[in-house]
Amino acid sequence: MNMIEFKNVAKVYEDKTVALKNVNLTIKKGEFVFLVGPSGSGKSTIIKLLIREIAATSGSIFVAGRNISNLKFSRVPQLRRNIGSVFQDFKLLPNKTVFENIAFALEVIGKPSYMIKVQVPQVLKLVGLEHKLVSYPHQLSAGEQQRVSIARAFVNRPPILLADEPTGNLDPVNSDGIMKLLSRINLIGTTVAMATHDRSIVNSMRRRVIELEEGEVIRDQKRGVYGI
Amino acid sequence: MIFRPRYFFGETFTSLRRNFLMFFTAITTVAITLFIVGFFLIIIYDVQGVLASVKSQVEVAVYLKDNITVELKTYLENEIKGWNEVAEVIYVSKDAALEKFKTENAGSEILKEIQGNPLPASFEIRLKSPEKVDQIALRFVAKDGSYIEGVDEVIYGQNYVQKIFSITAIAGSIAFLIIIILLLAAVVLIFNTIRLSIHSRRKEIEVMKLVGATNWFVRIPFIFEGFFEGFVGRAISAVLLYFITNYLLIKGETALADTMHIKDLAILGSSNIMLYIYVGMVIIGSLLGVLSSAFALKRYVRI
Ligand SMILES: Nc1ncnc2c1ncn2[C@@H]1O[C@H](COP(=O)(O)OP(=O)(O)O)[C@@H](O)[C@H]1O
Ligand SMILES: [Mg+2]
Repeated sequence: MNMIEFKNVAKVYEDKTVALKNVNLTIKKGEFVFLVGPSGSGKSTIIKLLIREIAATSGSIFVAGRNISNLKFSRVPQLRRNIGSVFQDFKLLPNKTVFENIAFALEVIGKPSYMIKVQVPQVLKLVGLEHKLVSYPHQLSAGEQQRVSIARAFVNRPPILLADEPTGNLDPVNSDGIMKLLSRINLIGTTVAMATHDRSIVNSMRRRVIELEEGEVIRDQKRGVYGI
Repeated sequence: MIFRPRYFFGETFTSLRRNFLMFFTAITTVAITLFIVGFFLIIIYDVQGVLASVKSQVEVAVYLKDNITVELKTYLENEIKGWNEVAEVIYVSKDAALEKFKTENAGSEILKEIQGNPLPASFEIRLKSPEKVDQIALRFVAKDGSYIEGVDEVIYGQNYVQKIFSITAIAGSIAFLIIIILLLAAVVLIFNTIRLSIHSRRKEIEVMKLVGATNWFVRIPFIFEGFFEGFVGRAISAVLLYFITNYLLIKGETALADTMHIKDLAILGSSNIMLYIYVGMVIIGSLLGVLSSAFALKRYVRI
């Protein structure tokens, strides 16, 4: 089953910057995919299109078989509840503890508190931070903060997890830990797409690689490496 | 979506704490604004009452010469009664005038000095439209500038009626303008409070959108905030207005009722005007709060 499908997708920003031209790709359920390419090649644009932060200029995008190209505004929250997203800058709330940060994500989608009390410790255990429940983000290392942000993205068990340069701010050791965590999440059956330009990570993982250049897919390779 | 009152109230009060100064300013503005609006409405209402009473009291007194013939008197009376503008004509004879003078000045020294009956007979003319008092008075003046035959003198409120009319009209427009400006100030302040509050919570809003919170979930705390500001503001203004009416304005109205016999007053009168003013303040206060937050949200929380 195709989890993500792009059909002839183009994206031109308001200032006429052409970010994507005629992109076609499919990602199957349970796959782990790297989106690689130099800075400005359109990786983040693909992620933003998938969570409908922006809309495609032309073409169609399917998520879990549903066309999201002309999704109504009121349907966007539902889409985002089925896609966990992780970013380079973590996007944690500084005045909330680890527990509260993750609980907040559940509260605002209307989860009852008895479920929150069960789900949050569970997901923190998955990312190995069950002992940091009451710490604030500034009391954690960058790697731990990224784990919290992954925990928040995954607490709801979404079928898709998108990560935009999740190791961009991390040293190799912490990056390695994050990659192990994403692999585990992928092993549970989650479809994972990760944008990166970290050569060594891509090369060590040997997963599917989709390479972009100036808004076009120039390579799509199973068990690929960063450059040819 | 499950409604989570604890979440919404919690978020509302967190943001109120953070923007306390702005919040305080917004509430004070609403309170003062609505208080002044209510205060003005009472004053305007009472001025209308006084004005109506003054208008109904405007009359033209036509004093007759002592030597006027009965025929001429009857002719004049019928003539005046035929005028459209006239509501009522009362003939006060010399004797009636003296009686009235005596009762009005009972016990006064002045009565001892009166010999015979120096008071003239007169027509007291009440008008349907008091604004026309000038025109009516002029009809008793002949072409050469003297009074017509049989008439000794004509007395009426002269310019003062006209002045009252123009002064109340101007005062009314100024009061209206002040009310509009105050309401606008309240809208701008609540709008700014909410905008600041949105700004201080932009990271939270970003995360909320990211994890799929609905638009309403993002907006409700801000709407609560606007509503709360409007609510507290108008509660304070109602208390203020209550004390002002019951300890200050009511004294003025009592004086008006005693001296001018005005019955239709905001507080003392039998109308429900005070109820309308309080209800109106609740409605305006709620609208101020909700409209300004809706306006701020429309501009700042696009999803
Ligand atoms: N909001 C935007 N407005 C205009 N141009 C943008 C915007 N976001 C990205 N771009 C441009 O689109 C192109 C692709 O950007 P992006 O998808 O962020 O690339 P990557 O993530 O691969 O570095 C770049 O040329 C970038 O400058
Ligand atoms: Mg990028």
